[in-house]
Amino acid sequence: MISCKEFIPAYSELFRYLEERGGHDEVVRFWEYLSDNFLGNLRELVEEHGLRGCWMYWSHTLNEEAADFTMELDEEAGEFSITMHKCPSKGMLLALEHVEPYHDYCSHCDTLYRRVLEPLGFEYDVDLSECDQARCRLVVRDRAGGREPGTGNRQPGSG
Amino acid sequence: MPTEVMDRRAADNEYLHKDFHGALSNALIYLEERFGPDAVRDYLRQFARAYYAPLRAELRERGLAAMAERLRQVYADEGADIELELGDDELIVRVAKCPAVSHMRAHGHRVSRMWRETISAVNEAICEDSAYDFDLVDFDELTGRSVQRFHRRGEEGSA
Repeated sequence: MISCKEFIPAYSELFRYLEERGGHDEVVRFWEYLSDNFLGNLRELVEEHGLRGCWMYWSHTLNEEAADFTMELDEEAGEFSITMHKCPSKGMLLALEHVEPYHDYCSHCDTLYRRVLEPLGFEYDVDLSECDQARCRLVVRDRAGGREPGTGNRQPGSG
Repeated sequence: MPTEVMDRRAADNEYLHKDFHGALSNALIYLEERFGPDAVRDYLRQFARAYYAPLRAELRERGLAAMAERLRQVYADEGADIELELGDDELIVRVAKCPAVSHMRAHGHRVSRMWRETISAVNEAICEDSAYDFDLVDFDELTGRSVQRFHRRGEEGSA
């Protein structure tokens, strides 16, 4: 059995394998597939709770992944952000001495989540400029502006 | 409502995110659908040769005790009970219920019909270039219950 603690290197090697089979486009095709077929819980949470759904989703995953992060939610301003001080996944890959991380490993976080959030009416920005140090920042903004806190409903007059 | 903030350090949580099993399962489903079943085995072997290189070296140097130590740790991490019978030339592993399969079924994740290859293809690859070979003697698709046998090459026997 591949332990869930060994998944990240398996994921990185999968990207390498796919690129060897069909180039980078093949890797992106897989990320799109995984977004469509595996992120239903994120989609459902955001559909029901709006930006708070992001908070609920990443509260679960980032704590289980023992990430070093600051997460902020301002529903009135319509903004959710994660500042990743040390990504556990990229940190693990960088710490491995005998396996090189897939060269574009961190971009999966762009494709996977953008593909869920943008069709639901949100802007999704991720800054991967420091991902070689296991640091990044993602921001999700409600295109319609703020919402009534905790309801996922748009505030009156917000569009 | 003021901005809500969640601030966590890595040491605040244990690293155990079992949903990763579901992501790996989706990856195997994708590989099988897009490239065929041989691609699933090819990928898992390629991953195992790279990631488990230190374990493969230990297996060659210390024998099956190295494999037994790894398996005890992996299944203990995931809260599963296993029985190990370690002899000079054989290691029998009995897993009553696979923690990965149990988690995926409990949380509605799709379980790849090739999930058994995460045991057989991976362990076969770990054993390459060593004095040992691997047989997946029994595997139950529903629960992941399995009987696994590592043995010195050329040694016959039954679990």
